Amino acid sequence: MNVLLRNSIRRFTLPRLLFVVVMLLFAVFMLLPIVFIVSHAFKPYDELFVYPPEFIVRRPTTQNFIELAQITSGSIIPISRYLFNSILISAATVLLTTIISAMCGYALAKQPFPGRKILFATIVLMLMFAPEVVQIPRYLVVSGLGLMNTYPGHILPLLALPVGVFLLKQFMEQIPNALLEAARIDGATEFGLFLKIAVPVCMPAVATVAILSFQNSWSNLETSSYFMQDDYMKTFPYFLSTLTSNLANNVARQGAAAVATLIVLAPNLIFFIILQRRVIDTMVHSGIK
Amino acid sequence: MANIRIEHVYKHYGKEKHPVVKDFNLDIRDKEFIVFVGPSGCGKSTMLRMIAGLEEITEGGIYIDDQLVNHLPPKDRDISMVFQNYALYPNLSVFENIAFGLRMRKLPKYEIELAVKKASRILEIESYLSRKPRQLSGGQRQRVALGRAIVRNPKLFLMDEPLSNLDAKLRVTMRMEIIKLHQDLKTTFIYVTHDQAEAMTMADRIVVMRDGIIQQIDTPERIYSLPSNTFVAGFIGSPQINLIEGRIQANARGDLEFVTSRLRIAIHEANAELLRKHERVDRTVLLGIRPENISLEALFSDAVITGKYRFTELMGADRFIYLDIGQEQLLSARVSPSVRFEPGASVRLGIDSLKTLFFHPDTGERFAD
Repeated sequence: MNVLLRNSIRRFTLPRLLFVVVMLLFAVFMLLPIVFIVSHAFKPYDELFVYPPEFIVRRPTTQNFIELAQITSGSIIPISRYLFNSILISAATVLLTTIISAMCGYALAKQPFPGRKILFATIVLMLMFAPEVVQIPRYLVVSGLGLMNTYPGHILPLLALPVGVFLLKQFMEQIPNALLEAARIDGATEFGLFLKIAVPVCMPAVATVAILSFQNSWSNLETSSYFMQDDYMKTFPYFLSTLTSNLANNVARQGAAAVATLIVLAPNLIFFIILQRRVIDTMVHSGIK
Repeated sequence: MANIRIEHVYKHYGKEKHPVVKDFNLDIRDKEFIVFVGPSGCGKSTMLRMIAGLEEITEGGIYIDDQLVNHLPPKDRDISMVFQNYALYPNLSVFENIAFGLRMRKLPKYEIELAVKKASRILEIESYLSRKPRQLSGGQRQRVALGRAIVRNPKLFLMDEPLSNLDAKLRVTMRMEIIKLHQDLKTTFIYVTHDQAEAMTMADRIVVMRDGIIQQIDTPERIYSLPSNTFVAGFIGSPQINLIEGRIQANARGDLEFVTSRLRIAIHEANAELLRKHERVDRTVLLGIRPENISLEALFSDAVITGKYRFTELMGADRFIYLDIGQEQLLSARVSPSVRFEPGASVRLGIDSLKTLFFHPDTGERFAD
């Protein structure tokens, strides 16, 4: 035990120590916004507007939560409707995006077909476009398909995730062909190969795509703002954006907005923490020689 | 239980001019252990993959039990295959790895359990059925790969260099286990390797390949003692066979002799007849002689060779010495391990002239009866 301890201390050379310190500082810096949002939600009004602003709450209160509940109880559309919409849309988007990206990535990586390279190049090209560039054509497509004010109108524009396809294609290329051939000889169908071998082996990438897709859809404002006319079809981030806008002063409802921000952030964080474990676990023990 | 017939099989990749496999013909009998051997890139693995159905056949036909299987997908051929890198499913436990093929065939649960238990007992992997492949050593992984192959009781086993990732000692152990497995299962095996020792120890018949063309199909004994050409002679056997270029001449008594600028070796009567038949008198030939047929013990024979001692390789039970006899290559000979020579010493060794082989100097073909 003593030897082990001594060895681990000896391994901490000065450059290594410096590296750890720098990385720790970096991590703390990255963590600051999250700490701020959590702490902000519990601040009483006077602390919300204190100048210079303070990071950590001094006298935590649940007053902001009550305010948010009061605001929503007064409106025609309850907050739960926005949340329900958000959860339903995000769940559907994550599920479908992951399936589509994985299938597309598998086909591009392991199923030779003519035009494969051009198709992949096109998908990579899509990575270059900023979302704003495609907003107008996207509007025309959604309206042309008659998806205004429907759930597919929320989900469909988010399904194509070029980063996801790219990531999964790169990962699936790493699967040894022998693994798929062994399964083929064992009697697996092509879909069986995909589902029982390719996807489990690429779980870290699949989890990453799920995270990306969730972040993309959970905080998405675009579909609610442009494609939904009725309020009951809009999502929680939209509701959040309306909390403080359109008001005569910029002091009112700041507490409620702080709580709402926390509510938007929390699922993102939880989703990431759950999947992150899986990502690291699978990465470390891929078991492929 | 399977007879395999391979008829005029060719394999071309894309628009490449030279086929990877060329006019491959082979009849494999039921329960036979066939080994494809050759240097890398000789087409042996491609041929195996065509039998498995993982690679398309450009031309020709493969028959398993007289059924043409050219267009049959791998899963319908009733075969199983062991891969070089084991190809175990990393996400499944050892039990599930072995059971995978049975589950795909929708066998009832109790049958799967029984079959997996039986296979794991044979291969002595019962104690780690619940582990994941990553928690196993190379040898254990190879056993699991074998387990996955035998659990389905296929007609035919295909093995693609299954031992090449293992260390030397384990390779010898697993080699014996595979021989034992073949004896117990009584099934046809096709085994691909580039290791001539594996081919010699395991095979009922060896198929030696080079550049996609079969060089020789025969039993290990005959491949070793009667190679069809200089390639087979050189590929099988370690240290390599000695090949010496020289002329065949008749001496004053009318007996034939093999003559180089520094050597004059008497030719055995049986070989002399052969060389006369092939009209090689007064023409050049390649003489092939294995190191173990050149020795101090054979000095009493009339075929004696003298060379300058260069270096030695001690193998434990044997010592191989290398002599400079004025040829491009050194001559290797087997002597007793207790014998030692001074560097540069002149050494006289006898050749067992009955064991000499004669090859055509241009084509490399052996002159045969």
